[in-house]
Amino acid sequence: MSTTVKRVYGYLAEFESASHLYKGAEQVRDAGFKKWDCYSSYPIHGLDDAMGIRRSILPYFVFFGGSTGLLTGFSLAFITQVLIYPTVVQAKPANIFTTAAFFPIMFELTILFSGFTVLFCLLGLMGLPRLNHPLFASRQFHRVTDDGFFIAIEARDPNFSAEETKAMLEAAGGKNIELVEED
Amino acid sequence: MAHNVTSQDLPENGEKIAKKDLSLPKLIAFGLFVAGAIASYFLFNDQTFGSGYAYSWLFAFLFFLTLALGGVFWTTLHHLTNSGWGVSVRRIMENLGFIFPFMAVIAVPLMIPSVQDDLYEWMNRHREVQQTVEADPVTYSDGTTGYEAKYSNQDTVKAHEPGGGYKSPTKAQLYATHDAHDHLLKAKHWYMTLDGWLIRIVCFFVFLSAGIFLLRKISIDQDTDPNPTTRRLILARKVSCAVMPIFAVAATFLALDFLMALDYKWFSTMYGVWFFAGCALNSMAVLILALSWLRYKGYLQTVTSEEHYHVMGKLMHAFVIFWAYVSFSQFMLIWYANITEETSYFLLRNSSDFVTLADGSVTGSVNWNVWSTLLVFLHFAVPFVILLPHYMKKKVKFVVPICLYILVMHVLDLYIAVIPERGPSLSVMDKLGVDCELLLTVQHNAYLGDIVAFITVGAFFVFVFLRNLGSANTYPNRDPRILESANLHN
Repeated sequence: MSTTVKRVYGYLAEFESASHLYKGAEQVRDAGFKKWDCYSSYPIHGLDDAMGIRRSILPYFVFFGGSTGLLTGFSLAFITQVLIYPTVVQAKPANIFTTAAFFPIMFELTILFSGFTVLFCLLGLMGLPRLNHPLFASRQFHRVTDDGFFIAIEARDPNFSAEETKAMLEAAGGKNIELVEED
Repeated sequence: MAHNVTSQDLPENGEKIAKKDLSLPKLIAFGLFVAGAIASYFLFNDQTFGSGYAYSWLFAFLFFLTLALGGVFWTTLHHLTNSGWGVSVRRIMENLGFIFPFMAVIAVPLMIPSVQDDLYEWMNRHREVQQTVEADPVTYSDGTTGYEAKYSNQDTVKAHEPGGGYKSPTKAQLYATHDAHDHLLKAKHWYMTLDGWLIRIVCFFVFLSAGIFLLRKISIDQDTDPNPTTRRLILARKVSCAVMPIFAVAATFLALDFLMALDYKWFSTMYGVWFFAGCALNSMAVLILALSWLRYKGYLQTVTSEEHYHVMGKLMHAFVIFWAYVSFSQFMLIWYANITEETSYFLLRNSSDFVTLADGSVTGSVNWNVWSTLLVFLHFAVPFVILLPHYMKKKVKFVVPICLYILVMHVLDLYIAVIPERGPSLSVMDKLGVDCELLLTVQHNAYLGDIVAFITVGAFFVFVFLRNLGSANTYPNRDPRILESANLHN
């Protein structure tokens, strides 16, 4: 028998259907929770609004990532082909007006850097990769990849309370409410 | 999310635009067109001004042709891809596309030989050779056979005003002149003949008009059908499968026959795609403007939302990129290959007629190089960056000025394609009434002609668009997927 104190992850509540989940999410949102999430096996239209999620800041990262790529491409072409080693082809001038030749590089690097920014910033914002998630400790949560709809409210949330949060989830239509502990 | 639109929210017999909203703009547009048409008649017949006005008319015709063609494209594409998002704005696409048949009226002046002789050098040469040269078969001393020319009518047929109809010379006649330029015309004889040109233009108008007429009719008939089913939905998709190839061929070859033929020595395989990019991009801008106007007047409120603006804005954004991609590809391939026959197009469009005189003063009217360079930034870079944030596409107060801006850039784009040909062609043809070898631009008042032609054709375009909008419901209210479109979420 272990005496280790386990850390509480939060409450997990099951919902009957996508529309129950949707309505439940609206109530959790209105209760002012921040650290919580909905779990479903497929995307639900409008759930972002029901959860009160703001637009991702990813596009701003991508904009600067792409701009960096553009400048990198231009610098690479301009410094090597004009400044360091002027490359004269068919007597065309080697100066800044040779941009027509630079464009493909600028274009490709813009896309490459944008793509990398999307991938890595997305992973970073989502907190991936991770090896485990505390909710995996719950047996009923396994159904989320099949036909389960869940809301989990984390204990880290300042509004969290052992009694009131449970009551709130029940009022919102949650079933099988379970206190999930981290392994 | 606001409440879902259900069939309870839609009026049973659809929504029509009230007469009072349409009659005044229609009257103004029609009045402008009539006044412009009368002015154009005198301008075309003006001794010194008329030859330059042909270019003005061609430019205005092509500008509004691209918008109408784009309407056909979006309608057809919408059916073809089985799209659901745009059912509530599809009627605007159909009405925009249905301007295309009426554009034949604007094309009529360009069918008249005395107008064509200012525009198309190859037609002049064809008509001249046909009327003056008779091919005489000869056998040379080394045993080979060929043709020698027997000339006649040389006093009456002028090289740059040959008259004549739509009869092209045979290959033998072109061969017989032993002229280096005629060799090119002989090589292109399989495509470039006068009767072939006329038949092509007529066919494009007839077949594509039939296509968009049919698609619009299928859609409008649904509005009053007491038992609306998916039958018309599937029929329209099938018809679209036939219309799309016709559109592709017509848009490409209309660009080739009307625009690229201005200089028959030059060719570019990207030209049709470039023209198409202009069609798709700018007609989407017109669609957004039309939607905004209708919503401003209180129509389409239940079935359209910010989401439709978002989708249409995204498509417009995509075609801003596509236009840049195609235009740049055309430029870069020609630029780095650096072949004399191909570079002529961009040489002309990057030249200026600014000359420094002996006393140090500078004279000239236009530097196409500046405009060509600006086009890269103003037509691509600026709208590309501005359209990036989602609210720029969603909010009417942002997207409407952007659409207007994009249309202005399309004016510049087509202007650079058409008008630089005017000075060199007319001065070589000696039709400017000034004694000179080569002028890059004609007299300044030619620009006034451009404006007159633009307003005339534009008024006609607006008039027909309003007529189309008023002649049917504002959206296909009995389409099986109207609710899917009304509740669009993306």
